[in-house]
Amino acid sequence: MKGAVIRLLLLMVLLAIISRAQVLRADSGTPVMLAAGALLLCGLFAGKVAKGLGLPRLTGYLLVGVAVGPYALGFIPNAGVKGLELVKGLAVSLIALVAGTELRLGLIRRVGARVALLCAAVCGVTFLVCFGATFAIKPFLPFLADMTVPQALAVSALLSTVVVSFSPTVTIAIVQETSARGAFTEFLMALVIIGDLLVMVAFALAAGLTKASFGGGLDVTELLGGVGWELFGSVVVGLVLAVGMLVYMRGVKQELPLFLVGLCFAAAEGGTRLHLSPLLVSLAAGALIANLDEHAGERIHNAIQQAGLPVFALFFAAAGAGLKLDSLLTVGPAAMLLVVLRGVAIWFSCRRFAPADDPRLKRYLWMGLISQAGVTFGLAALVSRTFPTFGPQVEVLIVAMITAHELVGPVLTRRALAASGEIRADDAQGTA
Amino acid sequence: MQALLVFLSIAALSLLASSRALDPGRFPALARLAASGFLFVLLGIFLGPSVAGVLTERHLEAMRPVMALGLGTAGVLLGLNLEPRLLRLLPRSVYLSGLAHSGTAFFFVALPLLVPLVFTSARGLLGAVGAAAMLGAAASLSSGHSAVLAWRAGRLDRARGLGVALLTMLDDAVGLGVLALALMIGAASNVGEGLGLVCLALLLGVMCGALLAFLTHSLKDLAELTTVTLGGVVLVSGAAAYLRVSPLLAGVACGATLAVVGGRTSERVARALGRVERPVFLVLVFLVGCAVHARDYWAWVLMPAFVGLRFLGKMLGGRFARRLAQQTLVLPPRLGYALIAQGGLALCLVAEYGMLVPGGLSRRVLDVVVMGAVVNELLAGQAFQYVVDPPRSLSENPADSEKVAA
Repeated sequence: MKGAVIRLLLLMVLLAIISRAQVLRADSGTPVMLAAGALLLCGLFAGKVAKGLGLPRLTGYLLVGVAVGPYALGFIPNAGVKGLELVKGLAVSLIALVAGTELRLGLIRRVGARVALLCAAVCGVTFLVCFGATFAIKPFLPFLADMTVPQALAVSALLSTVVVSFSPTVTIAIVQETSARGAFTEFLMALVIIGDLLVMVAFALAAGLTKASFGGGLDVTELLGGVGWELFGSVVVGLVLAVGMLVYMRGVKQELPLFLVGLCFAAAEGGTRLHLSPLLVSLAAGALIANLDEHAGERIHNAIQQAGLPVFALFFAAAGAGLKLDSLLTVGPAAMLLVVLRGVAIWFSCRRFAPADDPRLKRYLWMGLISQAGVTFGLAALVSRTFPTFGPQVEVLIVAMITAHELVGPVLTRRALAASGEIRADDAQGTA
Repeated sequence: MQALLVFLSIAALSLLASSRALDPGRFPALARLAASGFLFVLLGIFLGPSVAGVLTERHLEAMRPVMALGLGTAGVLLGLNLEPRLLRLLPRSVYLSGLAHSGTAFFFVALPLLVPLVFTSARGLLGAVGAAAMLGAAASLSSGHSAVLAWRAGRLDRARGLGVALLTMLDDAVGLGVLALALMIGAASNVGEGLGLVCLALLLGVMCGALLAFLTHSLKDLAELTTVTLGGVVLVSGAAAYLRVSPLLAGVACGATLAVVGGRTSERVARALGRVERPVFLVLVFLVGCAVHARDYWAWVLMPAFVGLRFLGKMLGGRFARRLAQQTLVLPPRLGYALIAQGGLALCLVAEYGMLVPGGLSRRVLDVVVMGAVVNELLAGQAFQYVVDPPRSLSENPADSEKVAA
């Protein structure tokens, strides 16, 4: 670990020198590649340091991103971090593809109903708690204070829907890192994935109600059409991608990691532009492949592990660099209240509603549900774009919550998997 | 979305280029262009703003980081190929021979083309000198891939093939040296500041190279080594692009430092980087092709002069080179014909010049060199026939057999 610390420090010294040298130049060029190289290298060695300290590598990636990013030491300009959006989409697609290969029909038959029930309970309780709290502190939230009661109720519902969401990305990355396998891990992964599907539907409904409460009218057909397109359209596109992958794997048999990276890149970019969910597209593709051809599913799993290390290190370090630490100061108290309430609600609902046949679920499952990342970021940005009057302030509040959740979530997820006794290897290569 | 389409078309063309569709027996010229990557230059010219307009100037501006990455990668690979021990062992006559063929082509092109450039330049004599020097630098470069391929195919004996390859490696130094001088003249408001920027690029490369050597030292896992190598290359290219200095020169300094201080690690790094060399090169030459302004009529006027003067320079330079190295290297009788192919570094030089030196003159230099390089690549296939099938009177030299044996 000492070697990794020295290497990390030297990298940061080099970044400091580059950052100082830029001050001497009257005009600077684009910082995207600088951000990519710096975050990739810093992330990699910070992951090693984190592992040496007994933390998930992912926490190392995130923390070093925060440190060198524009809101702390400022070695990497904000424009550089924003330019890495494409990498973020790619990483989400790759992670979802791996997760999809885990979704076998047998597993869905075995735990599907129980997971769906628990998911509904956890999401329902968390939503009610956050909704009540947000409405209760209406006078203290500047964007809610001047709204009428129906409007405040609708916006509280919208905010709470986003707050409920989980992070399949973080969960799957930690599972990959630790090579965890077993009933508890399967249950956790299935729950965060189904939870996100539930949140997507709920978000569309809440957004429709909010629009109506501000006089925009409620077009049920459009609302259902939008939700249906996002869910079913994503699945259909995912199935088409799966067929393409199978044809390639059977016909070409070469350069699979490169092909998968290219395809996931296309899924991420194309999915976003077609208003589909890139996560769901890749998830469906992975699930179909694993259920049609188990061997092909394993090949994809191994291929992404090869290509995964740089993509995941860069993705999470960039996510860390994008965390707006200053937002914690402006909306800190409200955000922290919601963070605590969300945590308590998840803990309570898991203790109360988790299946009794596996005591580990009652004790440790809640820890795996704390993380928030890509999906929550996406929904917050959507709120900001859809409701320009109050949306940006809601986004700041949500980003402040994500900051807190990203820092503690991965540690708790790893602890949950360790406590469940399903961690097999601590140094799986090529992953988070 | 257009950028995505472009990447997908590159992938499709890449598959096509490696398939049987481009059979050298049926379409030799097309197969040659595909193998050397110049087909992607033509694709870039076609899709770029001046022809089909699929990619606009705005898209190209957004893709500048990718271009910087390509130039940085090319630079690092070039620097890594420097083997200090081997270079120290080479006798002076080999260096003189390399300088002779590249220098002759340089002067044959730069001096005559300076005249029209002075008359069409809006940046005065100094700007025209810089542009003419870049044309000369691009002309001085030759690619040794034909010689190496001919040797591997058994059409050229090993000593001759390696002799040609060695000479073409040495001319890279001339090209890079002239690029540094041209950037000093053109990339800043005065020569002193230009010198400072070139030194900054080299210093940045040295620091990144030393750091990369330290980071990769003792890394045993291949995935980690590849990741750190890629990260290092992206970092040096990105830092150079951010500071608006040359990614190519910074990359060369980085690779050379790694080769000097990295020991055996540098070989592993070179292997790791070799895995992405081809795709990165293809994307780079595609973007260089996109930057060509096919409707610049002055460029079309200058291009035949560039190709013709370079051809003459290489013929005469080849003779000088052969004479200077006759005691130390075994070279083919008609060496000049083996030096016609221009290679990718010429494109890198003018792309770098176009990125860092503003104005229409640097753009014209790019147009002339890129179009000229495609023509030279097509000519090279025919010209090399004279190297592998020389007249008997020229090929039978008893002294050569003694040197081959030695």
